[in-house]
Amino acid sequence: MTTQVSPKREVGYLSELLQQRPSLDVQAIGAETVAWLQEIRDRSTPIVRELAIPTTRDEEWRFTDLSSLLKVNFAAAKPTSPLPDISSLVLPEAAASRLVFVNGFYAPELSSVAGIPEGVFAGNLWANEIPRWRDYLAKLPGGQEVFSALNTASLTDAAVVWIPKNRSLEVPIHLLFVSTAGELPTVSQPRCLVVAESGSAVTVIEEYAVCPHPQPLSHRRGGQEYAAYLTNAVTEIWVGENAQVTHARMQREGEEAFHVGKTAIAQARHSRYTCCAVSLGAKVSRHNLEIFQTGEGTETILNALTKIAGEQLADTHSTIALNHPYGTARQVHKCIVGDRAHAVFNGKILVPKPAQLTDAGQLSRTLLLSPKARVDTKPQLEITADNVKCAHGATVSQLETDEIFYLQSRGLDADSARNLLINAFATEIVDRIPIASLRQTISQIVRSNPIS
Amino acid sequence: MMTEGSEVILSVRDLTAEVDGTPILKGMSLEIKAGEIHAIMGPNGSGKSTFSKVLAGHPAYEVTGGEVIFQGQNLLEMEPEERARSGVFLAFQYPLEIPGVSNLDFLRVAYNSRRKHQGLEELDAFDFDELIQEKLDVVKMDSAFLSRSVNEGFSGGEKKRNEILQMAILEPKLAILDETDSGLDIDALKIVANGVNQLANPENAMLVITHYQRLLNYIIPDRVHVMANGRIITSGTKELALELEARGYDWLLEAETAEVAV
Amino acid sequence: MSAAVKTLVNQPYKYGFVTTIETDTIPRGLNEDVIRLISSKKNEPEFMLEFRLRAYRHWLKMTEPTWPHVTYPAIDYQDIIYYSAPKQKAKKNSLDEVDPALLETFEKLGIPLSEQKRLTNVAVDAIFDSVSIATTFREKLAKEGVIFCSISEALHEYPELVQKYLGSVVPIADNYFAALNSAVFSDGSFVYIPKGVKCPMELSTYFRINSGDTGQFERTLIVAEEGSHVSYLEGCTAPMYDSNQLHAAVVELVALDNAEIKYSTVQNWYAGDENGKGGIYNFVTKRGLCQGVNSKISWTQVETGSAITWKYPSCVLVGDNSVGEFYSVALTNNYQQADTGTKMVHIGKNTRSTIISKGISAGHSKNSYRGLVKMSPKAEGARNYSQCDSMLIGDNAQANTFPYIQVQNHTAKLEHEASTSKIGEDQLFYFTQRGISQEDAVSMMISGFCKDVFNQLPMEFAVEADRLLSLKLEGSVG
Repeated sequence: MTTQVSPKREVGYLSELLQQRPSLDVQAIGAETVAWLQEIRDRSTPIVRELAIPTTRDEEWRFTDLSSLLKVNFAAAKPTSPLPDISSLVLPEAAASRLVFVNGFYAPELSSVAGIPEGVFAGNLWANEIPRWRDYLAKLPGGQEVFSALNTASLTDAAVVWIPKNRSLEVPIHLLFVSTAGELPTVSQPRCLVVAESGSAVTVIEEYAVCPHPQPLSHRRGGQEYAAYLTNAVTEIWVGENAQVTHARMQREGEEAFHVGKTAIAQARHSRYTCCAVSLGAKVSRHNLEIFQTGEGTETILNALTKIAGEQLADTHSTIALNHPYGTARQVHKCIVGDRAHAVFNGKILVPKPAQLTDAGQLSRTLLLSPKARVDTKPQLEITADNVKCAHGATVSQLETDEIFYLQSRGLDADSARNLLINAFATEIVDRIPIASLRQTISQIVRSNPIS
Repeated sequence: MMTEGSEVILSVRDLTAEVDGTPILKGMSLEIKAGEIHAIMGPNGSGKSTFSKVLAGHPAYEVTGGEVIFQGQNLLEMEPEERARSGVFLAFQYPLEIPGVSNLDFLRVAYNSRRKHQGLEELDAFDFDELIQEKLDVVKMDSAFLSRSVNEGFSGGEKKRNEILQMAILEPKLAILDETDSGLDIDALKIVANGVNQLANPENAMLVITHYQRLLNYIIPDRVHVMANGRIITSGTKELALELEARGYDWLLEAETAEVAV
Repeated sequence: MSAAVKTLVNQPYKYGFVTTIETDTIPRGLNEDVIRLISSKKNEPEFMLEFRLRAYRHWLKMTEPTWPHVTYPAIDYQDIIYYSAPKQKAKKNSLDEVDPALLETFEKLGIPLSEQKRLTNVAVDAIFDSVSIATTFREKLAKEGVIFCSISEALHEYPELVQKYLGSVVPIADNYFAALNSAVFSDGSFVYIPKGVKCPMELSTYFRINSGDTGQFERTLIVAEEGSHVSYLEGCTAPMYDSNQLHAAVVELVALDNAEIKYSTVQNWYAGDENGKGGIYNFVTKRGLCQGVNSKISWTQVETGSAITWKYPSCVLVGDNSVGEFYSVALTNNYQQADTGTKMVHIGKNTRSTIISKGISAGHSKNSYRGLVKMSPKAEGARNYSQCDSMLIGDNAQANTFPYIQVQNHTAKLEHEASTSKIGEDQLFYFTQRGISQEDAVSMMISGFCKDVFNQLPMEFAVEADRLLSLKLEGSVG
């Protein structure tokens, strides 16, 4: 699980980033919280000091070159005033159950929690609920990994969602992290904590977007040039016994962004976790998705769609670490790669001896839209249990000339035909986004961005 | 439900069983009459699932004592397939995936082995298809499921619904539902519970084993038994389940320990 | 493995008898004189002796491959007899002249050769130890211009054809066992389908090893001319001996423009006893060349026998739009070891290949799939679909998958799927709890698992293969 990184190669760079962490303000946060956060930071800081930004010589980063990141010096992102206009990002389904963070800072003015029922908590970390959170925040495995450690060592605030026992929440909760890219490169390190107690059910939308811009992914229209920014996010999700979490993760960062995200999930006995991860933005992005099974009979469903073009690089590394019997895991990962873009997928499923009668299936499908587009995909099923059902599949394909021709012969022009086929490829995943309005938005983006 | 004077479907007396030499059941006793729904609850490791597997004849469990009479027959002397053909049905907690064997073939062979046992003529593919279309509705399943391999690629909810479909086809005398509710979302739970309620009738009996009280909001039991340490420590009505949900099992376990100490 | 599983797998091998017959056997060992002796006994043309000697000299410089996932004690190549043939008249003009003991042997194996009893729609070449003893329906086939005879006869009657194609697909120095075969091969089948002919019946060769210390080295060559079509099936059995016998065959297929060859194998050599003693070492090189445009070569194999199997029926897809297929069921039990799979080499444009491999491992056996899909730089628009499924029976069997993929053309399209599943106590209990007996359960699971492959076999043999697998597995589950 830990990334093997040769230490001390880019010492200066990483400690520079660490220097940019916000200071903990006793007045705003409260002494008890500050002491607790300091304690968490102190546990991770030495880890960061031992590590370096990984290079392509590190197995986990073989295909993802971060040297362009090293050329940028990031300063700490600041809260903005006035606040950005987020109206285009509001989801009607979650109009009264939304937490907004701008450049990593909680923005209560943009948030709305009126629709959160009594007993359920959705808010930021500074609310005085530490005793409950102490056992969960920064407690999932995998914290040794360099970017996670950096996030934890810089921990200042977090979006927190807490669903009590046997409560099934009807409204989805929208966690929106916007960056207002400015003139200088900045770094922000968002953090989420979701705890679904036993027997509960909740849908969470976690979204990363750039703001303001009238339309996602086309912020150049205003004629401005934005500086690069780095988002280094960590989300921890605890799914209790027989509980259910449906999670959508939308990455729609700006063109100049670097995005590194970690999603770590602990799944207790009989729990269900469903993820739909969509990656569209950022110059370089990496999503680490890690599932830890803590009891038998869990169900894990991972759907992902990456659509990139230009010079974009999008990397997903997922790990499903089973350690108990009767687990089910289904993973479908789809990439649409245009121009000279580069997609990376590494899907690890670990089925050790105790995980008997596991049923795991993984499918990776890539559509390459141009001769220069590239994908590196690697299924990695490590099975030592002997009574299991495990399957994996991988396809890499181009748009079929025959199919395009067929559509052309029915009167569609070549571009519409191509877009129709691209859309058809994406639909399987888009349809699994749990919120109708978001489904529509993503579907539009996939369609309206013809890739040459 | 009126059960006075009804036929006794299942009678278990002082049943003990072990797996790999470790005793799990330590004196189980239980009687279920036609038309009754019984629920067994209990903490993890109390022996609930073992009890269901012993009744169905799983080869990994060895019965070391006691007796089980099913409709007047000594159940323990019967092979697993004989028990099934005589009307004992176990809805598995974790239904298995059988690649390459279609759901339809599986159901038909199972159904016909039951028919054959009853001395009835086997149904051909055509008649069976008619029968199954009718039953699909009980669990709101699409007929596309029939051509897929048994449970292969099914979600947790679909697997459990498939179990209830099999139950609907086989029309057992005694249906044992082993944690059928575990891992189900509320919609799937309602479908499963609704299926079970449709299949319950004055002629058959249901034994519902569950870890979570939630299921008993939808399937109303006549009796609730609490299992701990391999036997039933207390029995009551459905209110007992609510009390357990609110208070947990510890108070019962403590009382049990105290009793033993006395 | 539980008792029920055990009884299911461990069926006695019913082809294990020995035929007592007077034989013409040469002394043990291998050198140039032995090769000359084999060649002279067969009265071969001069080019054939040269072919053998060249191969032998190459072989001396080669070493046995060590990369397969199998282990066996070192083979002493000087302790093997390289030629053994039943004594009989030099040339048999009709079946009446064949030793009745031999006819009886084949009848016992379920391959009646006499006119009254033979299969009506299958022509059979029966090979006993080193030589072909009879080929049925030769005249009927000759009317269509189809040549079906032993390769020894072909060397006399059609030397130019043999010289043109022999070694053209599997070069003499291709690999260690192919070189050995090229040096010492004794007999095998030759098939030639002329232009535009659709062969009117199934062709079949039945290989029988009888002698206990003779190596068997057959050579099969099939040439399908433009627009022709042939379906060919081979079967193999051997008696039960405590020692191991070496079987190193070479099969070469050539398909010209628009030609199609379907090659099916039901391999049931003696596999050794339940402790792994005895059995055949089956080290075989099979390769088909799709030389012509739109040509197609399809391999279907059901591998249930042999102590060790080392075999990769392959297709070299040179002609544009040519198609290669590989359908395989490999069953291993007890201490059997199998390292088998295929190579699909895409060279021409729009070439397509399909690989369906089903491995079943029971007992303490080892079953590995090893496959290569290669897309050469010129293979524009080439496609491959691979599916490799493993099924484990019991707790001590092993299954491995080694897929190799080399893509040098970006327009190539590849799909790969793999799965591992198991027949164990829990799966069987699921069936029995629904009232289905264990025997029916196993047979349903195995048939379901293998149906994609069995569907490819000629009808008569599909039933046979299904039955063979159930027999082999009887008692292995439970």
